[in-house]
Amino acid sequence: MGIGPSTKETTLHHFKDPLVDILSGEEEFDFLGIIVVGTPQDNEDKLFVGTRAAAWAEAMRADGAIISADGWGNSDVDFANTIEQLSVRGIPTVGVNFVGTVAGFVVTNEYMDTIVDMNKSAEGIETEVLGENSVTELDARKAAAFLKLKMRRK
Amino acid sequence: MEEIILRRLVIKAFHINQVMFGERTRMDPGGTLIIARDFLPSLTESEPLIEKIDMEIISPGDRDRWTNTIMDVIPVSAKVLGKMGEGITHTLTGVRVLLTGVDADGVQIAEFGSSEGCLKEQIFYGRPGTPENNDILISFNVTLAPRAGASRPGPTAAHRACDVFCQILRDELKKMNGNLCTERHEYFDKSRPGKKRVVLIKQVAGQGAMYDTCIFPREPSGFKGGRSIIDMGNLPVLITPNEYRDGAIRAMY
Repeated sequence: MGIGPSTKETTLHHFKDPLVDILSGEEEFDFLGIIVVGTPQDNEDKLFVGTRAAAWAEAMRADGAIISADGWGNSDVDFANTIEQLSVRGIPTVGVNFVGTVAGFVVTNEYMDTIVDMNKSAEGIETEVLGENSVTELDARKAAAFLKLKMRRK
Repeated sequence: MEEIILRRLVIKAFHINQVMFGERTRMDPGGTLIIARDFLPSLTESEPLIEKIDMEIISPGDRDRWTNTIMDVIPVSAKVLGKMGEGITHTLTGVRVLLTGVDADGVQIAEFGSSEGCLKEQIFYGRPGTPENNDILISFNVTLAPRAGASRPGPTAAHRACDVFCQILRDELKKMNGNLCTERHEYFDKSRPGKKRVVLIKQVAGQGAMYDTCIFPREPSGFKGGRSIIDMGNLPVLITPNEYRDGAIRAMY
């Protein structure tokens, strides 16, 4: 499994990315930048690249992180591992992912306690309608608000 | 502490309200875009995996029609001054390029689930990554050789060919007089010392055909000159907010 049309992030989406927009506009944040990390096929590679991303966030002395993924299924392995690696380094993390009713995480861990579900379809499914379930400004605002709370609690 | 400005990016938008085919590609500040299709035969010839390219202009009222699966929605942006993330970029609004694909046997060029069907119903209009309700669409439909969609070179050829077309528009867009833009946006990479340091991690596609991401193309949201995240071993890459907003990512799936 990978990315279906409804969660797919087009080139236009990246150009207008609501997460980048909201985080850079947030006066309470010193927005450090965007770490783009791929989702390899091989399990060992998945753990490797996600862990490198977390090590980088630690080296940036990040107080908090938001991680988003536009795919689901085997990319949950990457997602769960990177959240864990950030969390064990003491970085409060909020995840943004498609869950709905069909895409319960194929792997989870104790650190995945703050997830914004980007599903918007009534049935909670991959509708094959381009962009229907993709991240909106509202999702980005929710993720930023959750992160503020999580950083405050720490 | 005071915030520190690291770099500034100005994006000037030019609104297009009419698109038509003609003899010579050009755009005028009044909002008319004319597209010449004379480049198509030699472009198709130069791509062994592409059998055919069809281009159409689809007005907002004309969406009740068939579409092959949507490979990408692409904004037309061009670097006018400076490097990605700083300086000046021109972009078109009111019009989006729609890259769609199928192979000669009728197999859709998609990875996991595909969006072919009625164009009106297969796009949720008005999302950040989809056209607005009143956008004009330039359909760039690629027919690949049989089974060419199943491995990386096929979809990559479709993106490369579409980028050749976009570059023709970009070259015109660069010539537009910046003072005549319809919108002007200023963006800053800035540091806010003393505030909570927050990082965004974007997990992107990197597994193969129709599941790849291209980083830092030569032109905003372009293809040429970009590096595939697969070829970089899917390792993390750091992008500044301004670089990101200036089209540092090309979705390749």
